[in-house]
Amino acid sequence: MEAVNIQFAPATGTEEEWNEAYARLADYFRSYQLHNRIRRTQLILETLRHAAAAHAADPSRTPTAHSIEQARRMLRVWLGSIYSDLNLNEAQLEATGRLGFHLAGGPSRWPQFFLDEENMPDDMAEAMRSAIRTSGPGMQVSKMTPRDIDLGMFTDVAEDTFDRLGRQPILRYSILAVIVFGVLGYLYSLFS
Amino acid sequence: MSVHLGSQTTNIAMTAGMPPKRVSRTRRATFFAFVGLGTIVGAWLSFIFLSENGMRLSEWALLAVFIPLYYQLNIGFWTALFGVWLMNRSQPDSLDLWRSLTAEDYEQPISASTAIILPVFNEDVTRVFEGLRSIYLSLEATGQSKNFDFFILSDSDKASQWIEEETAWLELCRQLKAFGRIFYRKRRKQINRKSGNVSDFCRRWGKNYRYMVVLDADSLMSGALLTSMVRIMEKNPGIGIVQTFPKQIAADTLLGRVMQFAQALYGPPFMAGLDYWQCGEANFWGHNAILRLAPFIEHCALPPLPASTPFGGHILSHDFVEAALMRKAGYAVRLLPTTRGSYEEGPPTLVDMLKRDRRWCQGNMQHLWLLFAKGWHPMSRINFLHGILSYVSSLLWFLFLTLATYLAATPTPHHEPQSILAEKILLGLTAMLIFLPKTVILLDEMITGRMFKSLRLRLLTFVSCLCDTVVFTLMAPVLMVFHSRFVIYTVVGKTVSWVTQRRKIDGGVNWLEIIFTFASVTLLGVAWAALGWFVSPGFLPWISPILFSLTVSILIAVIVSGSRSGRRFGIFLTPEEYDPPTVLKTMTENLEEIKGRLQLAPELERHFGLMQVCLDPYVNGLHVSLLRRRRTIDVSRGYLDEIAQRLITQGPQTLNAQELKAMMHDTDTVSNLHFRLWSAADHELAPFWATAIRQYNLAASGPFTHTLAKREVE
Repeated sequence: MEAVNIQFAPATGTEEEWNEAYARLADYFRSYQLHNRIRRTQLILETLRHAAAAHAADPSRTPTAHSIEQARRMLRVWLGSIYSDLNLNEAQLEATGRLGFHLAGGPSRWPQFFLDEENMPDDMAEAMRSAIRTSGPGMQVSKMTPRDIDLGMFTDVAEDTFDRLGRQPILRYSILAVIVFGVLGYLYSLFS
Repeated sequence: MSVHLGSQTTNIAMTAGMPPKRVSRTRRATFFAFVGLGTIVGAWLSFIFLSENGMRLSEWALLAVFIPLYYQLNIGFWTALFGVWLMNRSQPDSLDLWRSLTAEDYEQPISASTAIILPVFNEDVTRVFEGLRSIYLSLEATGQSKNFDFFILSDSDKASQWIEEETAWLELCRQLKAFGRIFYRKRRKQINRKSGNVSDFCRRWGKNYRYMVVLDADSLMSGALLTSMVRIMEKNPGIGIVQTFPKQIAADTLLGRVMQFAQALYGPPFMAGLDYWQCGEANFWGHNAILRLAPFIEHCALPPLPASTPFGGHILSHDFVEAALMRKAGYAVRLLPTTRGSYEEGPPTLVDMLKRDRRWCQGNMQHLWLLFAKGWHPMSRINFLHGILSYVSSLLWFLFLTLATYLAATPTPHHEPQSILAEKILLGLTAMLIFLPKTVILLDEMITGRMFKSLRLRLLTFVSCLCDTVVFTLMAPVLMVFHSRFVIYTVVGKTVSWVTQRRKIDGGVNWLEIIFTFASVTLLGVAWAALGWFVSPGFLPWISPILFSLTVSILIAVIVSGSRSGRRFGIFLTPEEYDPPTVLKTMTENLEEIKGRLQLAPELERHFGLMQVCLDPYVNGLHVSLLRRRRTIDVSRGYLDEIAQRLITQGPQTLNAQELKAMMHDTDTVSNLHFRLWSAADHELAPFWATAIRQYNLAASGPFTHTLAKREVE
C-alpha cells in the first residue's frame, strides 16, 4: 500500500459534507473492532481519497455514500484475493470474508493488514479461509411419516382393552374382586 | 436374541429394560386394588349418607361427581404411600434402572452417538445459552463427551431474537472451541410447533445418532446424569424413553420457591410411587429425557387429529402421545428416579402458571380423542385419562361445591345413626387422603434426613411444610376456578395461541395484570358467600375456606408473585439452594456477570439483534452466511426494497414482525441493508439509526459478547 497523503482537498462537495463522511467512516471502521488508531486513520484517509474522485465524477450522491461505497469496493477486492479459489457470489464473499476475519482473530492479530491486498500475510489468509463455519452437520435425511391412529369406537376399544385384561391375569383380578366385594359386604352389614 | 453394543462385549437381551409382565401386573393389581377399594368405600359411605331419605336427582349428580374426584384423590394418596414404602424398604427395587449399571459399566467409554437438542421459541437468549454452556462444561468434565452433539433448534419468530441467538451460538462455540459440536438451526416456518421442530431435527439428522436427549429452554442437566442415561439405554435395549425427574430451580418469587420446595420434598416419593405402578408404561414429559431415535423416528410421528382446534388439529401435548406410541411399538417407557442432575425452571407468578396451565389443559383435553383409539397399551389409556382428569377434576370439584350449596339450600334431615356415622367416617377418610401423604413424607424426611442432614435444616423443612400447606390451601380454590374455566373454554372451542413462557419477573409485581385476571374470581367468591349465607348460614362455615380464598384471590396472587419468600429465614430451602450443584453454580455465576453489563438506551436494547445485523459487519456476515440462498422473484425484490427503505428512514418500530422476518430471510437484502445504512447521510436516517450509529461502538466491547459471559476455555 502506498504512503497515505494526509493532504486532502476534494474538488467537489462542502467541508461539512466531507466532515460527515469522515465521521461515518471512522464509526464504520471502528465497527470492525480495529483498535489500531493509526491504521484506522490510514484507512479513512485512503477511502476518502477514492471517494473524492468518485464524487467528482458523480456529485449527485453524498460524499458519505461515496465513502462507504469505496470502502465496500476495497473490501471486495481484498476478500476476492483471499477467497479467489472459492466460488462465492458477492453477498457470500462479503459475509464469509468478514466473518472469517473475525473468527481468525484478525482485528487483534493483523489489524495493520486489514484491506491491505499487497502485503497480506500468508498465515492470515490461511486462517481466514479455514474459519468458514456451518451451523449444522451434514444432513442424513430420514423419513418420519405419521401413521394414522385408528380412533375406533368406544365399543371396539372397550373390547380391545378388556380382552387384553381378561386373557392372562384372570385369577388375580378374581381375587381382587373378591376382596373388594368382601369389604363392601362387610361395610354394608355394618350399616344395615 | 442378543446384541453387541459398542465396545461392550456382554450379550444383552433385546428386551432388557422392559419390566416382566408378571411383575407389572402384580404391582398394578396391588396398587389399583387399594385405589379401587378406597374409591368404592368413599362412594359407598357417600351413598349411605345421601340416601337416608331416598336419592334425589341432585344427590345422584353429587355422587356421580364425587366418584372421579375420590378416585383421583386415592391415586395421589396411594402413589405417595407406595413411594415412601419403596424408599424405605431394605430390599432394593427389582425394577430400579440404576441397578442395571455395574461399576464396570461406568469404566467403559461411551461409544453411542447422542444428540442433545434444545428447541427454543423466543426464549431469553442469555439463559438458554448460559444453560447450554453449563451442561456442555459439565459433560466435558466427565471425559465422555466426544460422542455428544448439541443442537439449538430455533423457532423464534422475532427478528432481533433470531439474530441474538445466532451471535450467542457463534460466541459460545468460539469460547468453548466447540465448532462442530454445538449446532444452530433456525426453521423458516414453525410447522407443528415444538413437536414439529423435533420431528424436523429427526428427519434431517436423526440417522446420525442413536439417542436424543430433549431439553427445554430452561432445562439444566449434569454431565454425570447425561452419561448415566446413555449407559442405561445401552444396557437396556428394550427401553425407548427414559424420563428423569426435573427438579425446579432458580425461583425468586414466593410461588416459585414454594413450588420448588414442594417438588424437592414430595417429588421423590411420588416419583418412586409412579415408577412402582407405571413400570414400563410410564409417561414422557417432553424434556429432560432420553429417547432411542430409530424407533422414535419410525413409530412416533404424530398425525393430526380429526376436526379442528381446540379438540382436533395438531396434537399439543405431544409427549404423552409419543410415549404411548413408543409403548405401542414394543419399547418400554421408564421413569428414572433421580434427586440430582436434572433441573428446570417454573413459572414465577400465578398468572404465568395459569397461562401455562391453559396450554396444558387444551393439550390434555385433546387426548379424549386418543383415549378410545385402537391398539394402545391399557396403561397408556390410563395415562391419558389421568392427564384429562387432572384438569377436568377442577370442574368436577366446582360442580361438587355448587351441588353441595344447592343441597344445603334444600336440606333433608339426617337422623339415622348409620348415616351420621358414614358422614363422620367419610370426613375422616377424606382428611386422611389429603393430609396423610404430606405427613408421612415429612416424617420420613425428619427421620431419614434425605434432603438435609443437619437438624436445624430438618426443622426448617418442618416449618416450611406447614407454610406450604397454607399457600397451597389458599391457591387451590383459585386454581379450581381457572382450570374449570379452561376446560369450558376448550369445550366451547376457544383455542390457545403459542406464546413464550416467562421464567423470571422483570420489574416486580404487575398489579394491573393481576387485578384484571382475578377480579372476576373475587366477585364470584363474594357472590357465592352471599348466596351461601342466604340459603343456609349453617352451611357457610363448611365452604368458608374456599370462599375466603376466592374473595382474596387478588391479594393471594400479589403475595405469591412477590419476591418476599422467606429465603432469609431459611423457609422453603431446597438442597439446590443450600448446596448448588456445579452445573447450576456455573450458570448462576455467568448470569450474574451479564447482569452487570453496560446497557444501551431501552429502544436500542429492544431491537438489539436487529441493530447488530444491520450495523455490525461481523454479525451481518454471520447472519448472511447462515441463511440458505433462495431464488427471489422480482415482486418480492420490490417489496423487500420498500420495507428496507422504510426501516432506514422511519426506524424498526414502523415495521411489523412479518415484514422484519421477510427481510431477514433474504441474503441480498440483509447484505445491502448494512451498506445502505452506513451510506445514508444523517438527515436521511431515522432517529433510531442516528443514535444507534453513535452509540453502538461505545457499548459493544465485542460484537458477539452482549448476551454471553466472557469465559474463554484455555
